Amino acid sequence: MKNIKYKIFGSVLLLGLLTSCTEKDLDLKPISSTYEGEFFKTDNDVYGLVLGIYDGLQAVPMREFTLLEMRSDNATSALHEGEYQELETFDVDPTNSVSTNYYAANYNVIYRANQVLDNVGLVVNASNKTLFTAEAKFARALAYFNLVRAYGEVPVVDKLVTADDTQYFAKKSIATIYTFIEKDLIEAITSGLPVKISSTSPTFGRFTKQAAQGILSKVYLTQGKFTDAKAILATLVTDSKYTLQTGATGYSNVFKVEGNDEILFAIPYTNDSQFESQTFSIEMTSSGGASGLNYITNNFRTFMLASTGDYRTSTNMLGSSNILTNKWTRTSSAAALAGNDWVVLRLSDIYLMYVESILANGTSTADATAITYYDRVRNRSFATAVTSTSITKTMLLNERRKEFAYENQRLYDLIRFGVANTVLGAYFTTFTTTKDLLLPLPQSQINTSKGLLIQNPLY
Amino acid sequence: MKLKIKFTLLVTLLFNVVAFSQTSYTLTGKVISGFDNVAIPGANVVVNSKGGTSTDFDGKFSIKVNTGDIVQFSFMGYANKVVTISDQKTLDVVLTSNESQLEQVVVIGYGTQKKKNLTGAISKVSSKVLDQIPTSRVDDALNGQVAGVTILQTNPTAGGAPTIRVRGQGSVSFAGSPLIVVDGVVLGNDADFLGSLDMNNVDSIEILKDASSSSIYGSRGAYGVVMITSKKGKEGNAIFSYNTYTGYKYVTCQNIMPSTQEWSKRVLAQNNGVLTPQMDMINRMGVNTNWEKVMYDGGMITDHNLSISGGSENTKFRASLGYNNDQGAQLTDNFTKYNFAVNLDTKSGKVEYGVVLNPSYTKQRLFAAGNGNINYIRQQPWLPIYLDENSLKYVNPSFITQYNLKPGDYAEEKFFTNYNLATNTAGTGTTSINVTGDGNPYANVVERENMVYQTKMYGSTYFKLNFNDHFSFKQTIGGDYRQIKNENFAGPKAFQFSAPSNAFSNYGTVTTSHYALESLFDYHRTFDKHDLSLVAAYTFEDFATETLSINGGNYTNDLIQTISPANVAADGAFVTKSQNRLISYLTRANYAYDDRFLLSLSIRADGSSKFGSNNKFGYFPAASAGWRISNEKFLADNKVITDLKIRASYGTTGNNAGIDDYANQEVIKTIRTGFANPAGVTGYIVANLANNDLKWEKLVEFNPGIDATFYGGAFGFSLDYYERTNKDLLLNLPTSSVTGFSTYLTNAGEVQNKGFELELRSTNIKNENFSWTSSALLSHNENTLIDFEGNSGLISSIDPKRAAEWIALEGNPISSFYGYVKTKEIDPKYIKNPFFPIGGQPQDVYVEDINGDGKITTDDRTILGNPYPDFVWSLTNNFKYKNLDLSFMFQGSHGAEIRILDSQYINNEFNAFQDFATATSAAPANGLTPAQTAFPDAALVQQRIFTSDDVQDASYIALRTINLGYNFSKDVVGKFALSKLRFYVAAQNLIYIMANGYTGYNPEGIFPGATSPLTNGYQVGAAPIAKTISFGLNVQF
Repeated sequence: MKNIKYKIFGSVLLLGLLTSCTEKDLDLKPISSTYEGEFFKTDNDVYGLVLGIYDGLQAVPMREFTLLEMRSDNATSALHEGEYQELETFDVDPTNSVSTNYYAANYNVIYRANQVLDNVGLVVNASNKTLFTAEAKFARALAYFNLVRAYGEVPVVDKLVTADDTQYFAKKSIATIYTFIEKDLIEAITSGLPVKISSTSPTFGRFTKQAAQGILSKVYLTQGKFTDAKAILATLVTDSKYTLQTGATGYSNVFKVEGNDEILFAIPYTNDSQFESQTFSIEMTSSGGASGLNYITNNFRTFMLASTGDYRTSTNMLGSSNILTNKWTRTSSAAALAGNDWVVLRLSDIYLMYVESILANGTSTADATAITYYDRVRNRSFATAVTSTSITKTMLLNERRKEFAYENQRLYDLIRFGVANTVLGAYFTTFTTTKDLLLPLPQSQINTSKGLLIQNPLY
Repeated sequence: MKLKIKFTLLVTLLFNVVAFSQTSYTLTGKVISGFDNVAIPGANVVVNSKGGTSTDFDGKFSIKVNTGDIVQFSFMGYANKVVTISDQKTLDVVLTSNESQLEQVVVIGYGTQKKKNLTGAISKVSSKVLDQIPTSRVDDALNGQVAGVTILQTNPTAGGAPTIRVRGQGSVSFAGSPLIVVDGVVLGNDADFLGSLDMNNVDSIEILKDASSSSIYGSRGAYGVVMITSKKGKEGNAIFSYNTYTGYKYVTCQNIMPSTQEWSKRVLAQNNGVLTPQMDMINRMGVNTNWEKVMYDGGMITDHNLSISGGSENTKFRASLGYNNDQGAQLTDNFTKYNFAVNLDTKSGKVEYGVVLNPSYTKQRLFAAGNGNINYIRQQPWLPIYLDENSLKYVNPSFITQYNLKPGDYAEEKFFTNYNLATNTAGTGTTSINVTGDGNPYANVVERENMVYQTKMYGSTYFKLNFNDHFSFKQTIGGDYRQIKNENFAGPKAFQFSAPSNAFSNYGTVTTSHYALESLFDYHRTFDKHDLSLVAAYTFEDFATETLSINGGNYTNDLIQTISPANVAADGAFVTKSQNRLISYLTRANYAYDDRFLLSLSIRADGSSKFGSNNKFGYFPAASAGWRISNEKFLADNKVITDLKIRASYGTTGNNAGIDDYANQEVIKTIRTGFANPAGVTGYIVANLANNDLKWEKLVEFNPGIDATFYGGAFGFSLDYYERTNKDLLLNLPTSSVTGFSTYLTNAGEVQNKGFELELRSTNIKNENFSWTSSALLSHNENTLIDFEGNSGLISSIDPKRAAEWIALEGNPISSFYGYVKTKEIDPKYIKNPFFPIGGQPQDVYVEDINGDGKITTDDRTILGNPYPDFVWSLTNNFKYKNLDLSFMFQGSHGAEIRILDSQYINNEFNAFQDFATATSAAPANGLTPAQTAFPDAALVQQRIFTSDDVQDASYIALRTINLGYNFSKDVVGKFALSKLRFYVAAQNLIYIMANGYTGYNPEGIFPGATSPLTNGYQVGAAPIAKTISFGLNVQF
């Protein structure tokens, strides 16, 4: 009897010892995700990372409007509270988390692009290799263009870096950043990016050559390189793949009919999806977590209502109260899971940029081509067409304000036209000239830069 | 075996007899009680375990003894005392109460120790105390029982878990709840397991507070260890016990929102006797709903437990079956628990075997989600729950048409617009009384069903081999399984009439399985004056977690609430799995010399899969020592000091909780994007930065202390001082965005907690019929952020819409409230409509211009307080008169502040109606208009919600428990063939005093979604403190 017990006991002990584990058993690998050791092997792995770039881009427009529209004379917030109040009153603290997140979202796109460029050597298929390279470069350029306009001088990374690579922490001059952006865009345009063939090819939401050309021309305009811009825009305005949406609902359809032929590039989202929906639509209403952002200012309301008979009014402003914008009104069932795509670049912008490149910082132009494209944009939104005799800088700026209200263009338009200090200074008493045209660099970035990152002037 | 002992005893006795048999004489003396020096009549005096005598009325005795005899003195309620006779002729014996804690055995983790020999800071709460508190949760019962352990009723819903903290907040990233160990099975830091246990089965709870004690749990002990030991069977006939109580839970209304009548009076008084149009309309409607009463509807609490225990010399068992139902004080909250527990221990020769198994099932319906109750309490009192003939007369007809409204439909505020006061008709005028666009608050709660079902089980089994009396080996296999299932359904009626399409459901489970193997060698030996115990063990633990979530939508009614293929939301389903492991080696030596010098040394090595390849293993040493001065010769005969011990401990322990299982490595996740994936391609992202150096958070603590008892146990105290430093905190620190990420997980920073804990115990009166004992606890803790790795001054907020509210500044507590200092209110004459809405407060106040630049900017913010109390205390009194017993405990906390949002909502503090008069609601941000410059000091106002007005004193004093019981005497009970019968009536929180100026419902309340230590003390919609009155019965037969 006793012997049996000891045997049982002995086997239990043995079991204990057998199951004894060593340090090797502590080396567990993730189950519901993958890791370096088993990834980075095939063409499609890199292709997957390319899709990752587009995923990263989806984060960029989420609160961009609060940094751009609410930091202009177009928008304010419902409650004037907290960090959003800092934006609308031009009293942005470097700790502002909306700005911090925007900064990080753009660098995350850059990181994902660099991740692709770093691994593109694994791609066997040559045409895919060029395509992936071009897409990554376009995304990187787009993100830097966002950063340089919002923050001015920022660090530039063209490869994967770690927190120990301090040589990448310091700011680069604006000129250097633009050179970098131009180089990436030109390389993307000249090799790799597909030309838009039809509304289904390439897939809506992926980069095309025309989109890259459009962004490049805006990069040129921002630097005052009117001739360079004009050369590209001249080809784009005649590109038959793109047409203005017309009729009384034409302007509205630009935003309501997704994938229409006016759009050169948009960041797509899906209705009622837990992962692919956006939240800017709900945040722009009183149902949002912030009880209403991007509320229309008196300044804009007066301005827009003065444009009698303008089809754009009912899209730019909602209903009779004209407090909310109607541009991004959701069509999803779930309020917080809207699928409206964010339009980054569209044909009317190409037209007006073309006019801008012809005007070339002059006060007015009577150039027939300029008048043609200006009038096309204007007349699309009115029942009765007119023919302008000349285009002044103010006309162009005002036309842009009506055309691109709540599309995150206003602040940069004011800056590009050289009138930001005057206009915003008159609009808001606490606006500080020059300083408030740039956001402060996030405090967390200053803190982690080992003293290498210098805050923007006056902050 | 037993023969051997008997034989030895016999030989010893014989030897004694031989050695000392020559002198026989009469010994006289007196037996007195230690704590009051009063003679004990009737005490037993027994010589050599054979015959003896008892003391007379004066406590005196006289008995024949021989030198070398062993005389035992005993008396009920007192510890036995044994004296070996040398040649004394008289002997005065002091008996100490056996309630003295000195002889108590304390569970210390991988072993036990006598309380008198403890050298670390360990507190024990026994079932005797816990049984007095009728509550459904073990942790609720602990409240006020242990110094240095704070238990906050942060959201006291039915079955809801309180927040437990041991000695302050040590982590910046992890909430910091203690490790839970039940019957030796490590259940992790999820305090929620305590809700699944049955209070009736708990024999004792030990709390390891200092790092030296908890370091035996290595990388998991940094936030203290709560060890729960189940009741076990005892040798003898089977004992059946049945315990039950039933009670009522309720909330006292605070009436923060004024009634329509009160507000009407106020308007008349302040508006020259004229009603505002809005107040006029409200009065005509004549509805007055007290939303507090609607939402806090009270509920019953019921508990039954039947257990059977018993055993023979070799086999002991206990089994119990429990049921608990708590209907909660809030609308819809309800908690039901079924618990079954069994344990069995048996012994045969050198082998012992035991098993413990405890499955439980709980079912909980929650109060509707969102901001807790505040969205409901804030509703205007003129709003009815349902529309009726009367209220429909005030509804704008356009809504009646639009939604086909009829009596019995839920009422919404926004229906009551455009009333014409002159003609008494709806929809034709300009008077609107709506404040929000929300749906009906009652519907919002009752039309949702948020259920949590938990199936939990822990169990363990062991084989133990006793090589000899001193040395044994024990192999344990244990583990636990838990499945938490959430089922939420919000029907179309839970939303506004305008948005029934928001209806949704969610079905989710989190399943955790954990098994542990433990091989343990134990050696214990006493020789001469030495007492040595050694423990060495190896453990292996594996934890696997599986999460499932499915979202449903497209519900048009509430007939079918489950998720059919037609209801699955897009991208609304996922399953994830993860796993982690822990391998540990530990050893400890406890040594006592002559009951005077005590020493304990231990070390544990923990290897965790969660940490980086460079730091898989961590080592956690600890040492402690004590000196029992009272056992020194010079104090041996001291009548005052019964026991006096000084001790000190120093140890290291760690934390590995609060981080992902794979947080150390680069993880590549699948993603999708806004367009369809190309055929054959899956999207991927690299989700984080790897950190091969990632390791456990480390806690180092120094803890000196004194334990003393006087007058044989009549009075005693324990005093502990501690200085604990958490280093290498697991922090998601900001990193340079050029890395592609904004944060990365690393070890950095340092937090210090220091303070003291004082426990006082006294027996004030004790005689045959009456006794009165008291105990008091007092603790003080000071929290300081020492080093924040370059992030000092970090401002955190929960919602970007709210102002940056907390600052983590080195030299201050981890989180301090941050904002503007209110100086005074704005004169109502500058307020646009100071009488609307009901309960409304002006949204702006004057604040202090700290930098004196004449305007209010973000630079004028300052620290407004912190959420950590300065002092926490409790005072317990127990009275016993014959068969009647009464105990009650007061508990208090002082010096903490809280950031309260409840009053913001209820008082509509951000309502534009009460903006200052010259601003227009359409564009108040567009700078100051010329008219506004007339408004005095317009540049010095700030919105109230960012000011000290909403940082309030969270101090409180509560009568936590009071219990009055009656024990039927043995002869009465015997008639019913019972061995014990006790009735009691008990109450919790009967008295609850809040600080002046506190305007919420629960100063302990914390928003459940805001548990980050960086935003500590955020109160919005926490459930109110409920009072409970219950009647109970304990029967044993």
